[in-house]
Amino acid sequence: MKKLSSGSGAALRRTARLLRPYSALAVLSFLLAAGGVVCALYIPILIGRALDLIIAKGEVNISAVTPLLLRVLVFAAASALCRWGAGAINNRVCCETVRSLRLRAMKKLQKLPLSYLDSHPLGDTLGRVITDSEALADGLLLGFSQLFSGIVTIICTLAFMFRVDWKLALLAAVLTPASLFTARFIARRTHAMFTKQAAIRGEQTAFIDETVSGQKVVRAFGREEADMAAFREINGRLTKATVRAVFFSSLTNPVTRFINCLIYAAVALAGALFVTGSAGAGLTVGGLTAFLSYANQYTKPFNEISGVVTELQNSLVCAARVYELLDEPGEEEPDGEPQMPPAKGEAALKEIDFSYDKSKTLIKDLSLSVAPGNRVAIVGPTGCGKTTLINLLMRFYEPDGGSIEIDGTDVLAYTRASLRANFGMVLQDTWIKEATVRENIALGKPDATDAEIYAAARDSHADAFIRRLPRGYDTVISDSGGLSQGQRQLLCIARVMLRLPPMLILDEATSSIDTRTELKIQDAFLRMMRGRTSFIVAHRLSTVRDADLILVMRDGRVIEQGRHADLLAKGGFYAKLYNSQFE
Amino acid sequence: MKELFKRLKKFRRECVLAPLLKLSEAVLELFVPLLVAAMIDEGIMKNDNGYIIRTALIMAALGLSGLLLSVTAQYFSARAAAGFAGGLRESLYAKIQSFTYAKLDSLGVPALITRITGDVNQVQTALNLTLRLLLRSPFVVFGAAVMAFTVNARAALVFAVLIPLLAVVVFGIMLACIPLYGRVRKALDKVTAKARGGLAGVRVVRAFGTEEAESEEFSREHALLTSIQRRTGRIGAIMDPAAFLLVNLGIFALIRLGAVNVDSGDMTRGELVALYNYMTQILVELIKLANLIITVSKGVSCAKRINSVLVEESGEPERAPLPEKPVPGAPLLEFRGVSFRYENAAADAISGVSFTLCRGETLGIIGGTGSGKSTVAELIPRFYRATEGEILLDGANLDSLPESELRRRIGFVPQKALLFRGSLRSNLCWRDENATDEELLAALETAQAAETAAAKGGLDAEVEQGGGNFSGGQRQRLTVARALVGSPEILVLDDSASALDFATESALRKALKKDAAGRATVIISQRTASIAHADKILVLDDGIPVGLGSHGELLKSCAVYREIYDSQFRKEAARA
Repeated sequence: MKKLSSGSGAALRRTARLLRPYSALAVLSFLLAAGGVVCALYIPILIGRALDLIIAKGEVNISAVTPLLLRVLVFAAASALCRWGAGAINNRVCCETVRSLRLRAMKKLQKLPLSYLDSHPLGDTLGRVITDSEALADGLLLGFSQLFSGIVTIICTLAFMFRVDWKLALLAAVLTPASLFTARFIARRTHAMFTKQAAIRGEQTAFIDETVSGQKVVRAFGREEADMAAFREINGRLTKATVRAVFFSSLTNPVTRFINCLIYAAVALAGALFVTGSAGAGLTVGGLTAFLSYANQYTKPFNEISGVVTELQNSLVCAARVYELLDEPGEEEPDGEPQMPPAKGEAALKEIDFSYDKSKTLIKDLSLSVAPGNRVAIVGPTGCGKTTLINLLMRFYEPDGGSIEIDGTDVLAYTRASLRANFGMVLQDTWIKEATVRENIALGKPDATDAEIYAAARDSHADAFIRRLPRGYDTVISDSGGLSQGQRQLLCIARVMLRLPPMLILDEATSSIDTRTELKIQDAFLRMMRGRTSFIVAHRLSTVRDADLILVMRDGRVIEQGRHADLLAKGGFYAKLYNSQFE
Repeated sequence: MKELFKRLKKFRRECVLAPLLKLSEAVLELFVPLLVAAMIDEGIMKNDNGYIIRTALIMAALGLSGLLLSVTAQYFSARAAAGFAGGLRESLYAKIQSFTYAKLDSLGVPALITRITGDVNQVQTALNLTLRLLLRSPFVVFGAAVMAFTVNARAALVFAVLIPLLAVVVFGIMLACIPLYGRVRKALDKVTAKARGGLAGVRVVRAFGTEEAESEEFSREHALLTSIQRRTGRIGAIMDPAAFLLVNLGIFALIRLGAVNVDSGDMTRGELVALYNYMTQILVELIKLANLIITVSKGVSCAKRINSVLVEESGEPERAPLPEKPVPGAPLLEFRGVSFRYENAAADAISGVSFTLCRGETLGIIGGTGSGKSTVAELIPRFYRATEGEILLDGANLDSLPESELRRRIGFVPQKALLFRGSLRSNLCWRDENATDEELLAALETAQAAETAAAKGGLDAEVEQGGGNFSGGQRQRLTVARALVGSPEILVLDDSASALDFATESALRKALKKDAAGRATVIISQRTASIAHADKILVLDDGIPVGLGSHGELLKSCAVYREIYDSQFRKEAARA
């Protein structure tokens, strides 16, 4: 609990710092909110006074009533203006804060090491950037302004009530907390019901997610009825739990309203008796009317505040999540950001140790040297470390020990961006940006001419299918649909063909392309690889036969290396892998 | 929204009772200002303490009755809202199950999941609020006006002017805001999609060094969102102050008019206080109403989306009235000039495919990416219906047979190996609920999955959602086993060995052949090695059949097949 509150304190301070550019506006907004409340609360007093001038037939001082009423209008206008101003300012500060938070978070994401992004679910990170930052701004900014005006309302109401009649005020002030305690009591009792409802809802969502996503398979096996029965069972439980949770939580309003009504009756009774003089003296009818309208309003800010406090707690949690992301250390670059020159392509790995999970060694003492322009193929069973090698070459991950050198210089000497600019990479997991085909191909070379783009597409044999798309090169495509896996890989290959950096990394780059098309791209591939150091990971052994060097990996080690014919002749692990495809 | 109202009818009693009880509560509330007026006029002015005490007690009694009424109302409302939402979820789920593959494709699975989860919840909240509060607020507003007229008709004219004015301001602003909220939502969706895209493709983004461009695009999208949000906020911020000012203008007019009337003896002071109290009640209710309507309007747009799913045709076309009889001597499966085009597609996915397949035979289908192999596979169990030509099972048109019969006779292994939460046994028993353990183990054995199953703890091994605790290759073999249980007459393997290494695949092939007695098998693959042994091989190129025959025949006669084969074996042959 203590830890939470100290964490909350830090989050609060940071939020205050976040607001610094708007500090003048924020102060103004608070002042306006207070002004709006005070002006509005003064109105019942004025009206009470006016009512005291209107007693009965022939006992009305109209000439004195009119100026009082005009003052009501002035205060109403002033209050309205203040409220409008405060609302407008809050809206602006809120929108701008969310925006600057999100932009900062987005910038941070570009700098975070992949180890962070790989180990945190995408939905979670996205939630921090989008939802949590909004909750932070909404909750903390609006929450505070509501909290503030709530407190001002309570103080002013109390003050005005005491000004009208201190005994009645005391009565109202003592009785009011009763409704708050009741509300609290109900909330605590219903919490368990909501927790249960949320658990069943989670169970149902998981079930829906699984069976609707896999609906085609469900149907292929005629499982509809069994699923429907399971769904009905969960749904029945959920409906029951929901009725309970919704009903019991909705008791808060009627019960507090009832208690407020009792207080109102008590105040009216005591006030009326005061006026008639049997229980004291000095209260007028106008005063009683003003007082009753205060008594009516007095409980409202209490209810609001308890709501706001819950929301504030919630948004502090969100705030902490956003700040956690912003505080995550980004990747460090060497001083002066030295750029790596275009490489000749000599690559050496020296005594590399690496593991994702530091308790389990994955790669141990891996050394390897590649001459410029050589084609290196990496083969081996799943999980042997092929893709890890690529993560290290691209500096998506840093080795735990050892070094990687390009053209004889440790890659740590250069910025990551300049190192990566020397590599062209095609991965098995293709990624398509939501943009036109043209923009997707020109991803790494935004200033490419149309002619260059078409040439790259033709070389990668993507041109034909692109032209068949509804709007050709201007068709908007996205990661979620439209293209087959093979077509996506062809586009990714076109991207690299357009850029042609000095070194290439192809991680299962053609795994979803049929072998016949692959054969057709092969020429372009060979041309592209000529004079470029290339690292090729392939499941399909037909693509690795012509490599200058084949690395056979197993359990994080290179167990065999050499040319295809030599390895085959050796009759080792590679030969076994290779021959199994002909059985 | 017809479909939704139809389902709401089941809760007719609750839907009538809940608002009715709430209205009764509101009526009681409307009496309070009258009681205060009586307290002033009868009690205070006449110095009657007994009257004052009695009036206060009546107020308390009204409060208590109000409590009872509203608690009962809340109960009916909760029952209606939760029950209605539960029913909607069930209807939606059943509807989704009735959709054909083509329908599922065009509606999109993620959208359907949102309908049945998020959207239904919104509708539930909106209905609950509508029953409890939405009907109450206008009633209080008009009730207060009516009561005002009974108190003093002349002075109450102020209400007649004020209420329409207030309504125009409050609803005018709200109506202006609702479409803006929709635009904010859309802009936010785009910003989220942008961020998601950047995260999902982080390796590519970094490899191509386009981090800055990504940030800039995000910033651009976000600027749009912020500007709409600010505009919406600016308009919304007018509502509360404007309503407040209007009501105070009303109070000004009311008391000014009241002063004259009290002076002339047409009205008492207590009556004036009552009118003043009604005026404040109206203000409070209107603001509540405006906020409510925003929540409810969100619910309505969700309800519309749900409705559009419910009215969607299942996509199942009319079927021939009577199942056709099997024709003796006909092949088990026959395609006669079959073509198929996906909805909204410009060209046929396959066209003019013909072949026959008898019991005990194996058909291989090969072709490049997008050549239509999977389409042929998915037509066999009628996941999609041929747009042209005929598919015959034992000589009877496939379209005339009931779905359950197709499911029983055809074992299908989809390309995407998907298992479902439960146990290994519950996953394997999909085709036959009553399969014995021996049958299941035999199927696992044939599918080369016996070892995997044993390592995970046998038939009772737990399967996580989507089969997440098995590797891709393990899942593929388990889905093969799932299709083998219940001895299907036709086994369709849609590229079901792509994640297996060559050694395992060839073992699987041998095992399948061994226990194939009387079963026809269709194997789809990109690898010639996987289908070379088949009795017949169908070669597809961009949806068009370019060859049908055995491996040997095709090598001689079919250029496309030879090219595919060469791309996988040529160099070996050359070197050997």
